[in-house]
Amino acid sequence: MPPVPTPASSPEAPPADDAAASGRRPRGAGLPLVTALIVAAVALRPVLTGLFGHPAVANWATVFVAITIQALPFLVLGVAVSASIAAFVPPGLIARLLPKRPALAVPAAAAAGAALPGCECGSVPVAARLVSIGVTPAAAFAFLLSAPAINPVVLVSTAVAFPGRPAMVLARFLASLAASVVMGLLWIALGRDDLIKPRRSDHTEEGPRLAVFLATAQHDLLQAGGFLVIGAGTAATLQTLVPRSIVDSVAGTGPLSLLVLGVLAVVVALCSEADAFVAAGLKQFSLTARLAFLVVGPMVDVKLFALQAGTFGTRFAWRFSLATFAVAVACAGLVGWWLL
Amino acid sequence: MTEDARATTVLLVGAMMVRLALTGAYAKYVRTGMGGVLLVAGALLVALGLVGVARALGLVRRRADAHGDAHAQADAHGHGDERGPGHADGHGHAHGDRAGWLLLGPVLALLLVTPPALGSFGVGRSAAVDVRSGGRTFDPLPAGRTASMTLLEFDERAADHAGASFGATPVRLTGFVTPGNDRAGFRIARYQIACCAADAVAAVVRVTGTTGNTPARDQWVTVTGTFQRSADGVPELRATSLAEITAPRDPYE
Repeated sequence: MPPVPTPASSPEAPPADDAAASGRRPRGAGLPLVTALIVAAVALRPVLTGLFGHPAVANWATVFVAITIQALPFLVLGVAVSASIAAFVPPGLIARLLPKRPALAVPAAAAAGAALPGCECGSVPVAARLVSIGVTPAAAFAFLLSAPAINPVVLVSTAVAFPGRPAMVLARFLASLAASVVMGLLWIALGRDDLIKPRRSDHTEEGPRLAVFLATAQHDLLQAGGFLVIGAGTAATLQTLVPRSIVDSVAGTGPLSLLVLGVLAVVVALCSEADAFVAAGLKQFSLTARLAFLVVGPMVDVKLFALQAGTFGTRFAWRFSLATFAVAVACAGLVGWWLL
Repeated sequence: MTEDARATTVLLVGAMMVRLALTGAYAKYVRTGMGGVLLVAGALLVALGLVGVARALGLVRRRADAHGDAHAQADAHGHGDERGPGHADGHGHAHGDRAGWLLLGPVLALLLVTPPALGSFGVGRSAAVDVRSGGRTFDPLPAGRTASMTLLEFDERAADHAGASFGATPVRLTGFVTPGNDRAGFRIARYQIACCAADAVAAVVRVTGTTGNTPARDQWVTVTGTFQRSADGVPELRATSLAEITAPRDPYE
């Protein structure tokens, strides 16, 4: 771990700069603080090691780290796209490329989601960037919801998980696209843009492009990453406290099973590239119920909620997640009834 | 977060990812195929963090300051009524990325203590592998030499025509010991993961016919033996040899 000693070995360096340059924020408080955190953690090491003797704690830590590690590469991809849009795409270009009328921009943006090959963590910073460069929020949200569900990587993994059932892939694609478009249109009809927390990053035009790219990437990564940690912790807690085997006791068919698997998708917070394999294993449930699992998962789950709350604000995230859950279950039910 | 704290955090997160990828420890948390992706993403973050640190230390021409202040002002006037409960970005002088501190949580956890691979705690709690319905069908195992297979394949073969494909061929399995209330023998398990440990599902096999003490819970073992039909549906291996081993590099199937 060669880079690790960096903060510890050079805590005195930064104050060389004058604090006045950055106004209220005293320069140089960061490195000592990080150093202090690391020292404190090292001191607590025996306590931590002792805790891992408890299997539930060890299980929690493993799932927590696993969700974080798994999501970080996708977050990096999303942040890179977001920062590229901020730094290299002329302002207003994307808004101009989309149809003028929001009712047409929504399906166009939802379909464009197929182009971002990642899972849900990556699409949040991109959607936030789209809003901040002036894309109508309804279209950005349609993109936010569709991208993790209908991109080729996810569809291929769905096909692999359900061999011999191409209808499942088609159903997932259609139900996810439909739910995204419906949510976008719902936002046009009912949404209030004042629910969205304003972003402070409308600095697209200033400074050299590389500097804008780096500053935006750093900022977006830390913001989204912090909330990803909250979400991963929540998901790990739920997984450790609530045995997943609880779903085995629920009836496998009927509308209730759609809701149960929808809620399961929210709670376990799987990566959208992997959830098809888990759905394939839930053989005691009908295909339509498993479709609900696949449609809800990429759109609403506890880690995604934390990311959305951090990016767009909590007031927004509650309303948006509840509405999305209802729409996603309904779309899955209808498409499943039609196709499966 | 101040500029240098942000840069340091990004650097540490990147270093953690690179280290996990290079040491192979990542296999405890995510599927093995993700090593390269982790390495690339981690290296990008290290680069981003290093540039940020250099800038914060004044080694590079600082153009970012103007941004910093623009951020702060936009923040100050944008946040008045948007203060969500429990969120860290309510103050005017913050960058709205105070949540970024939380990223140090997993970094520190991994630097100090390595959370173990999933063990027997979750075996009974995860949704069980359901191999009964819509299972695969298998060709008979070639006779004569011992076949190594995953616990999942063992369970699937056991479900396919009551294990007819096994014949008398010896089978070798590797898994960890997990509790079960069996009259004879003990159980071993191994998780399948599709993406990360959060989606793990365990396959379980009962091992009978061993002599001596049952290995301790969570001990990794390799057992060789033959398939045997069981009364209660848990696939059963009648063991001829049993060896305790250290945990494999990739603890999942």
